[in-house]
Amino acid sequence: MAPTDNELMEAVKDGRVEKLAVLFERHHVALFNFFLRLTGDRAASEDLVQDVFMRILKYRAGFQSEGRFAVWMFQIARNAHVDHLRKRKPVVALDDQFEEPPSPEPLPEARLEAQSEADLVRRALDHLAPRKREILMLFRFEGLKLREIADVLGVQVGTVKVQVHRALKDLGRIYGELQGGKVS
Amino acid sequence: MTCNRIQERFADLLTDELDEAARREVQDHIAACAACRTELEELTATWARLDLLPAEQPSGRVRAGFYEMLERYKDGLERQTTARRFADRVAAWWERAWLRKPAFAAAAAAVLLVAGIGAGYGIRGGSGGREVAALRDEVRDMRQTVALSLLSQPSAVERLQGVSYTQQVDRPDNRTLSALVETLNSDPNVNVRLAAVDALYLFRDAPGVKESLTASLALQQAPLVQVALIDLLVEVRESRAAEALKALIAGGKLDPAVKERAEQGLKELI
Repeated sequence: MAPTDNELMEAVKDGRVEKLAVLFERHHVALFNFFLRLTGDRAASEDLVQDVFMRILKYRAGFQSEGRFAVWMFQIARNAHVDHLRKRKPVVALDDQFEEPPSPEPLPEARLEAQSEADLVRRALDHLAPRKREILMLFRFEGLKLREIADVLGVQVGTVKVQVHRALKDLGRIYGELQGGKVS
Repeated sequence: MTCNRIQERFADLLTDELDEAARREVQDHIAACAACRTELEELTATWARLDLLPAEQPSGRVRAGFYEMLERYKDGLERQTTARRFADRVAAWWERAWLRKPAFAAAAAAVLLVAGIGAGYGIRGGSGGREVAALRDEVRDMRQTVALSLLSQPSAVERLQGVSYTQQVDRPDNRTLSALVETLNSDPNVNVRLAAVDALYLFRDAPGVKESLTASLALQQAPLVQVALIDLLVEVRESRAAEALKALIAGGKLDPAVKERAEQGLKELI
């Protein structure tokens, strides 16, 4: 049977760092998509994936096998993303980046040309508040459980439930608006 | 149960984390409550739409960069450990010598200087030899994993990278060799197949490689690959390829240049 993520990470922790290659092959696409939906920037997302695996090596002694590897990895991924934002926009306070926009920005008519459903979903996500987008991506690409997402974000599981609900509600509304624009 | 309490469970329901009893409670409620039913239907539709979002693939740069980083890290780690072990030994010896005879220190310092100069060589060879060999095996395995993974990518550029990665592998195993032969025989891209010919040339002495190259001759349609294969087989003086060359010439429908090269090759082989 293939070794679990945690077994591989334990091996990496013990100095068999080449085992990280298997973890890379298992998770780098999910990480890339996570970053891509957060940043909208392919090159930056690729750099961030690299950065995460570099940090995993650097901080491998800190891995605790009680939790799932993916949870730890996404905690690192979020830190890498925060540092990326800090470097890119030194004047904007970090909290503001995760604040809800005061009101949803109007969707420009010009961009509402015919699109496939997948494009619509992607564009709707782009209009979603970053925090909500982040949660939905953790479900979509890594299949984390509510409890695990709470651990990644460092919040109560109840908070995650409320946020998932709100994120889906917002996303549905934005999707409807984009779709409506397409029809008219 | 109030609508609020029911809606609090929607996230659990969607992520399939609700036990049977709780699920039934939600179902009973929404059967009777139109507002909650509509809410759940909308959330479910949006939830399902997320699956439409395709998983995008990063470029080959990410994988190449990762393995480069890993190898660099591993090299650094190994050097650190070996150096530390050596330094520990020297320190222990120094302490003993100093305690026994202080006057010995000056001589010891001179010895240490020489030892220091020699350390760079000592670390690489000597007792560390076996560890370094084990490390080399690991690096080889790692390279093979990358190569195999790249060879199965949909993009021809990445498959080309995969072929070139195999060339960095010292004595590749059967899996890698079979993947190269498979690439040579059935990759849709002629450049990738040509690269596979070159890579297999490097491993011509591995068991079965010459036979696979000979057998591949009958499978190739592109003149460029045919010529490359003929040249290779002639160069390695694979006499068993003569039959394959004869069959190729006899098969007809051959590009005139390929036919000429095959006839010439046949003369050189016999």
